[in-house]
Amino acid sequence: MKEIPVSKRNLIVAVILAVVIAVGILVIENWPLHTEQGSTASTSEDSLVSAAAVNAIEKVFQVNYQEGKEVWLNRICELSTPAGCELFSAGADRMWEKYVDAKSVVTAAMQAVEKIADNGSEQVWRMTIMLSSPLPGSNKTQDTAYVVLAKTDSGWNFDRFLMEAEINAILDREKTPTTTVEEGKK
Amino acid sequence: MKRFFLIIVVLTLLIPTAVYAQGNDPWSEVFQPDGNLNPDLIDLGVTTEHPDWMSIELPFGQSLDLDANYHRYQTPSGNIVVLPSASTLFFMAMNPQESGLTNSNGSLGNGYGSLISFLGLAAGDNLDWNRIQAEHPEYTSPDQFWGAVLNGNQDVWTYFSGWGFITNLLQMTWNDGALRSLYLLYLNGTQNCASIPGGCSGVVTPPPPPRECPDPSVSMQQPVLTIQKTAPNNPLVVGQDTETRRGADIQARVTVPPVIFTWYEPIYEERDVCRSANVGETPNCKTSSGLTINDGVSDTERVFKECRMHVEHLPDAVASLQATAALDAASQDWITGKLGQTHYEAYIHQANFTLIPGIGSWTGGCDGGGTCTATGQALRVPFADPGTFNLRLDVVTTGTRFRGIPITQPRRVGIDGTMKVYVTLPALVP
Repeated sequence: MKEIPVSKRNLIVAVILAVVIAVGILVIENWPLHTEQGSTASTSEDSLVSAAAVNAIEKVFQVNYQEGKEVWLNRICELSTPAGCELFSAGADRMWEKYVDAKSVVTAAMQAVEKIADNGSEQVWRMTIMLSSPLPGSNKTQDTAYVVLAKTDSGWNFDRFLMEAEINAILDREKTPTTTVEEGKK
Repeated sequence: MKRFFLIIVVLTLLIPTAVYAQGNDPWSEVFQPDGNLNPDLIDLGVTTEHPDWMSIELPFGQSLDLDANYHRYQTPSGNIVVLPSASTLFFMAMNPQESGLTNSNGSLGNGYGSLISFLGLAAGDNLDWNRIQAEHPEYTSPDQFWGAVLNGNQDVWTYFSGWGFITNLLQMTWNDGALRSLYLLYLNGTQNCASIPGGCSGVVTPPPPPRECPDPSVSMQQPVLTIQKTAPNNPLVVGQDTETRRGADIQARVTVPPVIFTWYEPIYEERDVCRSANVGETPNCKTSSGLTINDGVSDTERVFKECRMHVEHLPDAVASLQATAALDAASQDWITGKLGQTHYEAYIHQANFTLIPGIGSWTGGCDGGGTCTATGQALRVPFADPGTFNLRLDVVTTGTRFRGIPITQPRRVGIDGTMKVYVTLPALVP
């Protein structure tokens, strides 16, 4: 048997290298995906979408009963998909009647907090909304919204608010431990 | 393309199978053996309502209240057939208990297969099937998954990976009100009309008939509605017309034929008889010809003679009339898109108008024959945007009564129309 002489210094270097490689593998394997999502959220595309969401939702909660429903809806529809505009307009009659009865004049500020889901052509964002004063039927001036934005020929547009069942499903999923954030379209 | 397939499948689902027309199946009074609707059905027209399960909750306690929309028929035995619009059906399927879907006989007898096909087309591409299979391997096919959703055993919302299809589905329904895919049957719907989709609107509830005579019957024709532009022939956007801000005139009109209520009055006559004598009465006649002494007392009794037929023309007056105009989506796109490219800052001035009551008003009344009419006009409506405006007329009637008894419930009917508003665009000619 042939003996291979190994110096003490080389042995220490080899051990350090092995430890560094092992730690590196462990770090890569356990790197949390939400950090990856965080970097995704900072991409220019996401910035465009979040800006579109902020602009559109600001219009929804910018209410001045003296302007009339049509002016209010037109402002919203300018930043909405055609179907989203039609959906909002079709269901807003009773809401606007309450604003007129309460003589509501409200301004809103908001922040896109987090991208919840993304299938390439649609994104869902969680938003925080702050009102200058409460709207009729509520005494809150801060609330959370879950908003769908869709990619159209003219860019990203507001499509609709998520329904209660959809929000509950998202909140339930957030409670369960998972690293999958990006939605995969079939 | 997907919309095309959906329409094809919807039309396919509307072709009833022969099984409906056989035996004691309650569907046998809905469809004839050849598959056509039975002419004895009473067309109750289209009914809309705002149920909680079609409400979209917004932040700060606000909500968008969407219309649930049904076309309904009443069978001779008092069952109600309900055809929901495509979007209404989708929301019913997502809320089978609250919407009353599970109470329908049709959802079991004819509907689950068709309903599953509808759901697959409307929403199937927007589900994360890989995740469903990973978390629920017991569903070996999409049909099993949809069946569990309809039975209330499976929450579908967790698995959506697309969201815009709901707004597209709603828009498709609004643009094509005839897109209805499923017949739902509610047994004894006239007796329980408050709990069926669409409620008691228009449901015929005749009073109990006299025992000796035929049942009363009710027949009614559908109201005739029109909404149209009456002047000018080719309206220009306000500001471009020769007369300053001429705008356009819109007329809405509805004619409600009388409800024909046929009932039968039993006619009795008095006849001399010899009845048994009561204690204390002095007998003065014989109750039987074989007797030799008087044992009865002369009296009169009411005897049924005949049924006399009465035909009533009951007026079903107009209780409310509403007309609106809305610039369609394609025109809005054209203004902000193509027109905006050549005319800087082209924008939509006013896409929606409340015509009546609002810009105009309506009047109505009934004639001696029971025919009721109502007419409304909105004059000089200041349309400022070019394109196609969708006109909508919605009418609610009072229902009919006879001698204080309700015969038919109020009806809700509506019609759509269109009108065009033109714009003159300058062009450079070399």
